[in-house]
Amino acid sequence: MKRRAFIQNGSALATGLMLAPRITAQAGAGDADAVVQVKGASPYEITRRAVSELGGMKHFVSRGDVVMVKPNIGWNRTVEQGACTHPEVVRAVVEMALAAGAKKVVVMDNTCHKAEDCYQRSGIAEAARRAGAEVRFSDESRLAVHDFKGEVLGRWPVFRDHLEADKFINVPVLKHHGSSGLTMAMKNLYGILGGNRGKLHRDMGENIADLAAGFRSHLVVVDAWRVLVRNGPVGGRLSDVEERRTVIASANIMHADVAAAALFGRDARQVESLQAAAARRMGEIDIARLPLRRLDA
Amino acid sequence: MDRKNGRRLQRLRILSQLLFLVLFFFLLARLAGGPSAPPAWTGLFFYLDPLFLWVGLLAGPLLRAFLLALLPLLLTLLLGRFFCGWVCPLGALHQFFTWLGTRRRRRPPTIARGWLRPKYLLLAGLLAASLFTVQLLGWLDPFSLLTRSAATVVLPGGNALLQQALQAGPRPLYELGRRALLTVTQRSFLQAAGLGILFLGLLLLNLRRRRFFCNTLCPLGALYGLLAKFSFLRLRINDACVKCNACAGGCTYQGGPYQDYLKSECLLCGNCLADCPAAAIDVTLAWPGKKQRPAVDLGRRRLLGAAGAGLAAAALQLASPSRRGGTHAFLRPPGALEEKEFLRRCIRCGACMQACPTNALQPALFQAGAEGLWTPVLVPQSGYCEYECHRCTQVCPTRAIARLRLEEKKQFKIGTAVIDRSACYTYADGYNCAVCEEHCPVPEKAIRLREVEVETFRGRRRLVRQVYVVPDLCIGCGICESVCPRSDRPAIRVGAEEEQRQNPAG
Repeated sequence: MKRRAFIQNGSALATGLMLAPRITAQAGAGDADAVVQVKGASPYEITRRAVSELGGMKHFVSRGDVVMVKPNIGWNRTVEQGACTHPEVVRAVVEMALAAGAKKVVVMDNTCHKAEDCYQRSGIAEAARRAGAEVRFSDESRLAVHDFKGEVLGRWPVFRDHLEADKFINVPVLKHHGSSGLTMAMKNLYGILGGNRGKLHRDMGENIADLAAGFRSHLVVVDAWRVLVRNGPVGGRLSDVEERRTVIASANIMHADVAAAALFGRDARQVESLQAAAARRMGEIDIARLPLRRLDA
Repeated sequence: MDRKNGRRLQRLRILSQLLFLVLFFFLLARLAGGPSAPPAWTGLFFYLDPLFLWVGLLAGPLLRAFLLALLPLLLTLLLGRFFCGWVCPLGALHQFFTWLGTRRRRRPPTIARGWLRPKYLLLAGLLAASLFTVQLLGWLDPFSLLTRSAATVVLPGGNALLQQALQAGPRPLYELGRRALLTVTQRSFLQAAGLGILFLGLLLLNLRRRRFFCNTLCPLGALYGLLAKFSFLRLRINDACVKCNACAGGCTYQGGPYQDYLKSECLLCGNCLADCPAAAIDVTLAWPGKKQRPAVDLGRRRLLGAAGAGLAAAALQLASPSRRGGTHAFLRPPGALEEKEFLRRCIRCGACMQACPTNALQPALFQAGAEGLWTPVLVPQSGYCEYECHRCTQVCPTRAIARLRLEEKKQFKIGTAVIDRSACYTYADGYNCAVCEEHCPVPEKAIRLREVEVETFRGRRRLVRQVYVVPDLCIGCGICESVCPRSDRPAIRVGAEEEQRQNPAG
């Protein structure tokens, strides 16, 4: 063996050994890459359980933080239709953030249908308000240009509310999506954007990965209580919705999506946005090697 | 009546006008916002309008609600034009601007009966035309005019101004104001400039001629004037009169009980009673015999001429290409009746535009022919027909848009989407894009994707998911066109192809 080859192999091995414990170790509290998947009888309870398994909300939210909670409120659809995040999941997240000492929790999305309708029909506005959050509509006059410094996505207008928040909690719903295959946490970040977002549907996977790499989600809670398995993302037909009674949580947005894709029945390696995320070294794309714990609550 | 009581009456009249104006805007606000359909009583002012009772009578099965219009008709036979003076919300606005104009110039104006006549001739012309299916009463009817102007100009304009003003102030105040007063998204309407200039112009004309619109143009005022001629209530000058002509100083029709008393024009505003220094004006009841009908002389020839002009206008319209039907480049709201019947019933009030949550319904210019001016058209580039909404079908006062239950509306085909392959990214550029497919609200998806190998403009072969429309499933809601990300023109457009129209009988 040549000396150069020896050094190269050696350093690769050393790097591998250093990383190994992070990836192969049982996912534990406080691990930034850990993923927890909880199945149970109430969307509220499994959300609380999943976050506590990650070390509790105190691990993600500090006293005095302004916390932005970003559910998917994109569509004028009911809870049963599964097009928006379950209001009980949102309620649990808001309550936990407030209990962890957040100064203020804001719930907001840039909707596809008319905002007032979506906020109301999804049940999210009422649930969030009752949990103590401030429910805000996206305000076109509050856009600021943010540089995502991505491979395809550079400067793009983002609602200031998201940029100004201390912590950002990404609370998507897992569902089928015509053009990107699946929509989960990374795609949910479209909701922080203003401008002509439709343009980003070109090379969508690349854009999604750039979005997630260029804007930090401190915590991700994927609602998979009801999963729209066909005719997403807007759906409408109840026969296209399956109850999976599951929530997935992680501080690593890619890992949350890899686990969610597996739950949906898709190999993450077949999902364009996750391929792009893997190329950006955002995490592990192989579900078998994911630091994932599956629990029954 | 002495001056004190005259002032009391005057104040009571102003209070009544204010209340009805507030009621009007309350009902208008009730048309918009909220997920559930607005209640039928939001159409109250339209149901009180005898001109629309006439429209309903002409158009076939009459809505019982329009029988309400008999009430002001009968009361007018008793009292005269109380409605114009005490009830009409548009009249209240004109009264306010008139007051602004007369505050400084109190000198009694000269009599000019010629300015009072056009409204009668307009009424004659409009009624004649309506007999021949060209129904244009809504252009000038006060409630149509006010609803249309308020919905497309006053409210959106006010919202925009207020937003700008609030933004200049501190942020907490802005947030509070945005929550309490502003609409979440700024609404905008085609023709707003024209409609705005017209509306403001009519209001400003009051500074030159008192209650210009009411005295000169209003067809409803004309109808009430014709009846008021035969009303029982009248003003009478008694012996205490000192001939000072102070009663003309505030008279809305620039006459007054002393110099030119006209029962057909008196709006019972009470200004003369409040201005008379000698308590020389009595309010009396008298049998409207031949000598008790002071009114504007119309002249048979003039009336016939006006009716003839109305017929000529109708003939022009009936002979116009738009009446031939065939292809057309506009969409009607869901539930719209067959076009001729739709035009006959539509009173151009814009209630549907006010009710439409997405700003999709817009006043037409001449797409639907000259007679179609200000009728509602659905413009997907402005907004889309929300799948879960049927508000416009619930608020149309004359049912030019038939009542549809939400489930019926979801099936109602407004038109059909077509893809412009020379513009769509998935065809022209070989890129994946499926924003239209994503938004398609039909559960089975009327827009679908198929994977095709294409050669891109760079000459590379590539698999692309191309979008296509399933015409039988498409309901023409237009959300695809409204969200197409192309910046120059939408690559998917909804046209009237296979559009459904409601049968008037059904």
